[in-house]
Amino acid sequence: MLAKGRGGKIRAPRRGLTKDDVDFDSVWNTLSTAFLEIHSKNASRLSFEELFRNAYKLVLKKKQDFLYDRVVQLEESWLRDHVRPRILGFITPTMTVGSLEQATGTQSNERRIAGERFIRAVTDAFADHQLSMGMITDVLMYMDRVNSQDQRRPSIFATAMALFRTHVLRTPLSEDASFDVLLLLETVVLDMIRMERSGEVIDRPLVRACCYMLEGLYESFTEDESTKLYLTSFEPQFIAASRQFYQEEGKTLLAEADASTFCTHASRRLLEETERCQQTISQITETKIKHVVDEELISTHIRDVINMQGTGVKYMLDNDKIEDLANVFDLISRVDPKKVALKDAVQKRVIELGTDINKSANVISEAPPQPRTAAKTGADAKAAPEKTLSQQTQAAIAWVEQILELKNKFDRVWVEAFRRDGVMEKALEISFQDFINANDRSPEHLSLFLDEYLKRGGRDKTDAEVDALLDNGILLLQYLANKDLFETYYKKHMAKRLLMKKSVSREMERQMLSKMKMKIGNQFTQKLEGLIRDTELSDSLSTQYKEYVNKLGDPDPRRIDLDCRVLTTTVWPFETLFRADNDDESRRECKFPAPVERIRQRFQKFYLDKHTGRKLTWMPSLGDADLRATFTTGGKTRRYEVNVSTYGMVILMLFNDLAPGESLTTEQIAAETNIPKHDLIRNLQSLSLVSKWRLLKKEPMSKDIKPTDKFYFNEDFSSQFLKIKVSVVAGGANRIENSEERRATQKRTDDERGHVIEAAIVRIMKSRKTASHSQLMTETLHQLSGRFQPDVNMIKKKIEALIDREYLERGSDPAKPTYNYLA
Amino acid sequence: MAVNGTPSPFVTLVSSDGFEFHVRRSAACVSATIRRMLDMQNNFSEAQTGICHLENISGIVLEKVVEYFYYNEKHRNSEGVPDMDFPSELCLELLMAADYLIT
Repeated sequence: MLAKGRGGKIRAPRRGLTKDDVDFDSVWNTLSTAFLEIHSKNASRLSFEELFRNAYKLVLKKKQDFLYDRVVQLEESWLRDHVRPRILGFITPTMTVGSLEQATGTQSNERRIAGERFIRAVTDAFADHQLSMGMITDVLMYMDRVNSQDQRRPSIFATAMALFRTHVLRTPLSEDASFDVLLLLETVVLDMIRMERSGEVIDRPLVRACCYMLEGLYESFTEDESTKLYLTSFEPQFIAASRQFYQEEGKTLLAEADASTFCTHASRRLLEETERCQQTISQITETKIKHVVDEELISTHIRDVINMQGTGVKYMLDNDKIEDLANVFDLISRVDPKKVALKDAVQKRVIELGTDINKSANVISEAPPQPRTAAKTGADAKAAPEKTLSQQTQAAIAWVEQILELKNKFDRVWVEAFRRDGVMEKALEISFQDFINANDRSPEHLSLFLDEYLKRGGRDKTDAEVDALLDNGILLLQYLANKDLFETYYKKHMAKRLLMKKSVSREMERQMLSKMKMKIGNQFTQKLEGLIRDTELSDSLSTQYKEYVNKLGDPDPRRIDLDCRVLTTTVWPFETLFRADNDDESRRECKFPAPVERIRQRFQKFYLDKHTGRKLTWMPSLGDADLRATFTTGGKTRRYEVNVSTYGMVILMLFNDLAPGESLTTEQIAAETNIPKHDLIRNLQSLSLVSKWRLLKKEPMSKDIKPTDKFYFNEDFSSQFLKIKVSVVAGGANRIENSEERRATQKRTDDERGHVIEAAIVRIMKSRKTASHSQLMTETLHQLSGRFQPDVNMIKKKIEALIDREYLERGSDPAKPTYNYLA
Repeated sequence: MAVNGTPSPFVTLVSSDGFEFHVRRSAACVSATIRRMLDMQNNFSEAQTGICHLENISGIVLEKVVEYFYYNEKHRNSEGVPDMDFPSELCLELLMAADYLIT
């Protein structure tokens, strides 16, 4: 504010304040009277300017220290002589007796009213004091400014607030000064909060005002945030009282209420505390009090609640109490990020339910021995196991369906109640894995399930539904530990589907494979894709062959069409596709009837011309044939198209050469055709025993096929259908394995696994050159775990075998077992 | 002039020699002293009447002070504002007034 160098000299102040002397006492008199007026709420008659000017004068005269001291004195005496007695007047004897004692009836009510009146008096006094001091501070603003420049004294306002604390709140009420107004105040407030917790309505704004006061007062002059009376005095007491309250409530609740009530109650309490912190006390307490609730009400009891008999998590799961579960989940996630108790309970229930499903599936599987021993009549004996086998297949499918249902249910619980929580997802996954793998037939069951839907494409289900079912099936596949076993079964079932043309569509099969590939990797589906590839190659091969035949110009109108599937031996599961009863028999090639044999040779020539150096082996047991058959009885001729298995065709063709009425014995047929005994019996059974398509008559009419039984061509055959499909007993349909087959599959899998393990060991050692035993073990286990659960003993055995075959050698130090790779 | 809680937007500043200045309240409140004087919550007599007698300040100085109030308010939110022009002969008195008014 410097003047510019324009003319004119600086005027001296005309009436300098420095000149007239100030009489401190008289000025102070004016001020002190005015201050008392302010305290008595008569400020409107005072002129601020006058008071300010007076205070200003005193400060200019360097009298600010005197002024400060005088003001402090004035405030002290005002608080001591006016405010304190008024507040003490509100203290009634009932209030001072033990605060937490439960007084009853009118007494408690009386005490409550007295308490409320008391804190109202205190908060009112504080509000007045604050307002008055605000005005006085304004008047003394110039003094504060000078003071703050010196930094010697706290502002007059802070001092006045501290005076209020010392002279009003710290007024001792008992001899030893341990019980003062502040403590009484806090006790009353805590009492009120306790009343509110037990459901009574209290004067919230009053409590709020009280807390507001405590927040505005500090232990020290520096007004450090952490020295607020609220934080130093009230809050610890509030927390302690709440802790006690919730400890007791937790105990009574646990004893009296059920799990659902407990959880709703606990969440309500949490809400209440939040609300209390926001509306009644102070927000800074919110996290602390919630922590108390978490600890006392939730942490301590949640495990008991979850495991509560009859109403706990188990009950909630069984009865779809989604809301209650969500409650439990919310509570436990507050106190335990790992949710151990809930996880345990849910896992236990899943495994229980899963074990039940396993059991019910196994009960049916283990049923067969009974009927087999009971029905000794021979005729039934054959049929009974077949029936139970198909029952078992149904059971296997049911097993998968039940698991899917269970999974569905828990998925819903997971989404709706567990908020898609990662920990719970993992837990559920693990428990599903556990019980699914507890059933050693699960790979087979699952494959059968998929087979069922890929085969019929869901007669009563829409495409979308089937799709969803298949997707679910693949989900389960992820849980399987022994994926290689599943692969074996799936390959077998899929091969049959493709060969018997039972698959809904090849497109579907391929989709299925790509889904699997996405879930569990390329390696797994490679061989399965080979199946489809072969099938497609064969399709084009057949077309080519047809063209080739057309070009040959075979004029024979009774030409036989041939549709061949050329299958790669290593890809297709031949060993499971037909049973090698005993090797001699299956090695002998089936004798085809002459016309068929000609065709066969022609195809073989065609194929070998295209691909030299290959060998074709014919598998008549997997094929089928369409025949046109004529029956004449009573002058009428009936023509039917009959679809039979290749073996059936071979058998029927034999009767072409017979005169009417002649017969062949089983032995003769066997000798003529070279059909393996087992297949022969099955085919003869289906041709002669099922009335719907009895093309052969048998003598004697019994269900058993004996070597000496005679067979006649059934000229009397008639049917309402033109096309007849003769299915072979226990033929095409994929079904559960009997124990014998299972043993074979198990053995094959074990062999296979042996190779895989050896390959893995060699792979690891090749890159490592040396590895310690434990290193090798862990790495091998790791590499294999994607396919199956490797057996440690097996790995050890394989390591031994590799050492024997000099792929590996033991390290020199016997204390630390290591292996070296020998190139 | 303040009628029931809604204070008038103008206040009157009276100098020691009786000159009256009608000033916008917001401008007058540039001074911490005047702001507190007019505080409705404190409710001193000045707050009720809206008239402030400034016994220390002469009319000629108060005029300059009021000019400064408006100048300050106008440029409150801008930067690089040039200093206001003051007649050099009033310097000392203005300094004292500024100290008193805590401006």
